Amino acid sequence: MFKAMLIKEFLLVSRDKHALAALFVMPAVFILIMSLALKDVFNEDKALIEYAVVDRDNSLESYSLISKLRANKLMNEHNISEDFGKPKEEGVQFIVVIPEGFKSQFSQNEANNSALQIEVASDIGQSHLMLFKTQILSSVMQVRLDAINLATEMQSGMRGEKSAIKKIEFDEAGIMNIHYAALSEDEKPTSTQQSVPSWIVFGLFFVIIPMSTIFINERKQNTLMRLSTMNVSLPVLFGGKIIPYMLINQLQVWVMIAVGMFVVPLFGAAPLTIGGDISALIAVSLALSLSAIGLSILIAVTVDSVEQATTIGGIINILLGAIGGVMVPKFVMPDFMKEFANVSPMSWGLEGFLDVFLRRGTISDVMYEVVGLILFGVVSLIIAAGIFNYKIRRVA
Amino acid sequence: MIKITNLLKRYDEKVALDYLTLEIKAGTIFGLLGPNGAGKTTLISILNGLTKYNEGEVTVFDLPLDKNLTEIRKRCALIPQTLAFYENLTVIENLNFFGGIQNIQADTLKKNIDYAVETNRLGSMLHQKAATLSGGQKRRLNIAIGLLNDPDILFFDEPTVGIDPESRNEILETIMSFKKVNKTVVYTSHYMPEIEKICDEVAIINAGKIIKQGSIESMLTNESADQLIFEIYETPLAALQECCLKMSALTVIDDSSLMLEGKESNTVSEALALLEAHSVAVKNIRYGTTTLESLFINLTSKGRADV
Repeated sequence: MFKAMLIKEFLLVSRDKHALAALFVMPAVFILIMSLALKDVFNEDKALIEYAVVDRDNSLESYSLISKLRANKLMNEHNISEDFGKPKEEGVQFIVVIPEGFKSQFSQNEANNSALQIEVASDIGQSHLMLFKTQILSSVMQVRLDAINLATEMQSGMRGEKSAIKKIEFDEAGIMNIHYAALSEDEKPTSTQQSVPSWIVFGLFFVIIPMSTIFINERKQNTLMRLSTMNVSLPVLFGGKIIPYMLINQLQVWVMIAVGMFVVPLFGAAPLTIGGDISALIAVSLALSLSAIGLSILIAVTVDSVEQATTIGGIINILLGAIGGVMVPKFVMPDFMKEFANVSPMSWGLEGFLDVFLRRGTISDVMYEVVGLILFGVVSLIIAAGIFNYKIRRVA
Repeated sequence: MIKITNLLKRYDEKVALDYLTLEIKAGTIFGLLGPNGAGKTTLISILNGLTKYNEGEVTVFDLPLDKNLTEIRKRCALIPQTLAFYENLTVIENLNFFGGIQNIQADTLKKNIDYAVETNRLGSMLHQKAATLSGGQKRRLNIAIGLLNDPDILFFDEPTVGIDPESRNEILETIMSFKKVNKTVVYTSHYMPEIEKICDEVAIINAGKIIKQGSIESMLTNESADQLIFEIYETPLAALQECCLKMSALTVIDDSSLMLEGKESNTVSEALALLEAHSVAVKNIRYGTTTLESLFINLTSKGRADV
């Protein structure tokens, strides 16, 4: 009985080009696009700041500052003329003007009236400005330290003795060591690892459209009624939907993972690596699948037409994605939105996948999400069964 | 085969079946006639276990329906009015699916599929998508699916809606062929000529009650009717029309029957004399209406008038 159901659903889905596009092509394309688009967000070597310098001091100190800024991998310098315009017009975010007398900052005897003049483009956000200010401060600090080191060495040299004071270094690697939780020392999270889980979750919920379309057609054409007269019970009917679509969902998961591992690197982004436990990955994807199928059946029995199913299913999918952190990562959301995100089963699935892909999670780490998703799926199916029975009775 | 006694079905306050009693014998083609809302679909739904009833007794194969639904369903098939199959599957994929879902043993299923395909002349289109079939072919596939469990009773709910006359005749012939293999057919339709052509027995249902039941012949021979039917040897229509021109109470039905309005002896004598004068030889005279359709309209309109 289930074999017949399985073959039928596979044949129907495989012949529905729109369903195939929604289930496989759309999430694969999303993974590719988002991995490439966000590639630089997770790349520490990529320059984030575009700036230009106008040196009106032409001193050793100003040259030193300029060379320190040039050495900073976060910043990309542009050349501009003395009579420069606004930052936007010059194609930069910041213009640093080193005023005449800048070198006096480094002399204790001279008055300090030569602060750097920073021109900022009007569309620069606070976080970007803060980042730039930090880079300038650290560069100026380095120039000062160099001056102190030089003065110390000169004083020791004049006295004909070797300096007893250790040269003060300002090297980031010597000050701090960055380590991402659950990753090995030299590993960093990549855009692929952030994107693949999101779009797997989103893609899995797209079973709403083919499933509800087939289900509504079956209902309208009286095929479900015919199946009832053939002793097909409601649990068998639902089971005949759950099992094939669960398999389709698992196929989706592995196709998306394969895209992340083998296709995304072809376009220059980092490949996906499955850091965590495979059993945890399977548990999350099965539980997420049950919750997506439960919701799909609930929509299918509730609405009355294919048009309604496509529209309502699509809207629910996008809303759950937006709320659940698929469209916008949860770490950029304000606190109340982060709390609100937890109402979406997509959020639970996403957290489960991130546990596996990003946090090296094991089955015990994803248990909370797995149980939540299974409960969501089961409750949806129970409500769907109630609505289905009510509608059947009303029609009869 | 099917015995229904005092069947009552209510939808809230509305009575759909009003203590209906009916018996359908094995091996017959039984026509169920009635205007829209008469209770035909409710009755078919109850017999297929799709709708529960409030009161009464229903036995099928001498088994109480409510306690033996699963067993009874295994020996019945409903062929709905809608095309209840998958348009995106081929003919053979549909047959395999609907056979497979019924847990029929593989060798039996193969035999049943062969029978269904042959009976419905689907052999040349097995690998064609159902969506690409013509209207008549789709209807035949709809019937073929109903034969997969080799049912003893087939319920047809208006199986010829919206198809061309040629396909309709093919389907009617298929249904008539079931009689040869001793299957019982319960047939609902609005096309009276179809019922007249294939059914052995008919029940007319109106407002949830059977208002007339019996063989078509007995129904059309109705002593209380105001018309007489003259069954004649085949005569050119021109000659018959000439008679009708001379006597307005006479109407031509076809080249072997005439209808006379009125049954008084002098009217009958006058008609007989006229026919003799035009060399029209009368085989038989019977009371009754001309067609099932007129009887149906007569009975159901009386029902409406009573309401």
